[in-house]
Amino acid sequence: MRFLRFLARELVVHGALFTVAGTAVLSLLYLLSIGAPTESFAQTGRSFLLLLSGSGDFSIEHPGFSPGEIIASGAAVTLPLALASLLLLTVVALAASAIATTARYRAEAHGHLGTEALRRFAGFLASVLAAVPLFVGFWMLATRFGSQAPFLLIAITTICLGGLAWDATRFLMSDMLRQVQSTHAAVFTTLGRPLGALLPLPGTYSGYLFSSSLPRFIPYLAGKVPAIIGAVTIGEIVFSFPGLGSTLLEALLATNTDLLVASVFILLCVNAVVAFLVKSFLFLIYPRWYEKAI
Amino acid sequence: MRKPYRVARALFLLCLASPLGLAWLPADRLPLGLDPDFQALLQSSFRQLSITLAATLALATALTVALGYLSVLWQRFGRTGSSILKAVESVPAILVALFCYAPVSGYLARHSSETSQLVSLIVFILAATLTMLPESVRGVAIPLGDLYHRKYSLSFRSYGFTKRRILAVLMASQTMRGTLKRIAAGILLKTLVLDCSFGFIIQLGFGSYGTPAHASPGALIAANRDALFEGGTPLLFWLPSLLLVAISTAFLLTLADRVEAAA
Repeated sequence: MRFLRFLARELVVHGALFTVAGTAVLSLLYLLSIGAPTESFAQTGRSFLLLLSGSGDFSIEHPGFSPGEIIASGAAVTLPLALASLLLLTVVALAASAIATTARYRAEAHGHLGTEALRRFAGFLASVLAAVPLFVGFWMLATRFGSQAPFLLIAITTICLGGLAWDATRFLMSDMLRQVQSTHAAVFTTLGRPLGALLPLPGTYSGYLFSSSLPRFIPYLAGKVPAIIGAVTIGEIVFSFPGLGSTLLEALLATNTDLLVASVFILLCVNAVVAFLVKSFLFLIYPRWYEKAI
Repeated sequence: MRKPYRVARALFLLCLASPLGLAWLPADRLPLGLDPDFQALLQSSFRQLSITLAATLALATALTVALGYLSVLWQRFGRTGSSILKAVESVPAILVALFCYAPVSGYLARHSSETSQLVSLIVFILAATLTMLPESVRGVAIPLGDLYHRKYSLSFRSYGFTKRRILAVLMASQTMRGTLKRIAAGILLKTLVLDCSFGFIIQLGFGSYGTPAHASPGALIAANRDALFEGGTPLLFWLPSLLLVAISTAFLLTLADRVEAAA
């Protein structure tokens, strides 16, 4: 029953319904603001319905431009880039938080102040890296590789520059550091388990702290999906990838309402798919935390 | 020892954020040795950035305080507002900004430079505020709600204080002042990132049709992006980029300090 409720809420309400309603509202606002004639509203609504039904005739202005092609551009570029960035973001946040918490423990319990000083220096460097605008990093890559830039490098740039990794690390690190001085964490250190200085693996000290932070970290990640999609969109425009970002910009430039509606719809779909995956993970591991988080 | 460190740190942060203030000096007071046209563009872009940051900060903070207070005061309002803001949060910020800008781009092209700059600024500030609100309102409502349910708030209630008055007292507490400072630093940082990314994208996509109205440093960097290729002057690309890095670092360090203090 709980699983059905989860599917109804996340797949139907937050997924399908939100995507369709979001596209409809954004399109309506756009048409209103450009002062489109009444017939344009009806025509756009009809095109949107044709897009939803998967018909190849959804765009009267651009015949033959099928919804499949637009969806493929999203599936081939935007979705993999967003997923790779999300995965990298998680790994970076985990590693940096494990290093930070073990450094704090060493400083407080054993007086190893060197590791804490190193952590602070690394934090400063991370802040400087996060302060580099994302588009500057993308343009540097573009001057070196052109539109042939490897996806992995783009994903690394998306995460490391612009503050995504910085923010995620700060969130997880402060949550884990809050527990360093708690009684249960102090008791755990008496068991003689490894510290887990590089990754919070199960059975290690940092892994133990992480297990308490995980239920809060997963909703945080779900909330960051739109920011990742936004960063990926900028990347697509800079590298002229045939993804949704550049399609959207083209549509705005040409005031092609049909293409604009289709691009926004697919972009919100990608957003919903990635957010659904993250929330499913939370639901499967911590169903009660999921209920609490919503 | 603690005080000199804090003074030195504050001075360091002030130096990093100084381009926002220096941009307002007359060009002859800034002997940078740059091409006069480029220097004028550089100063004008950072002036516009400082206006955007100040205006967005003022509007977003005022709305955050009001909505945060009201959502704890009236829970039904809070729940409805939270659902709406969650929906807004699900749309990427750059998409919101592009959507707000696209309809007025025709108007901007048709009108004089001053009018279109003002309209562009207003549109961007509204779009940026809209994207900042979900996180910042949550950032106020959650700690305010927590404070309201603590023991001393209960004792306030036993003395017959109204909820409205207790919340007003709690809003002025040290915890809430710290929270508001953290939220303000976050708003500044996000606005900076959005403004510059948006300027870059608009310049890349719309070229000279879109950017004079949105003269952010991001647009200036995009306009000089070819300076990195052979025969170009890399300084034209790197100087605004480095100034942006310095300003962002100042905001990030302030934010990091406050997050660490909260932990």
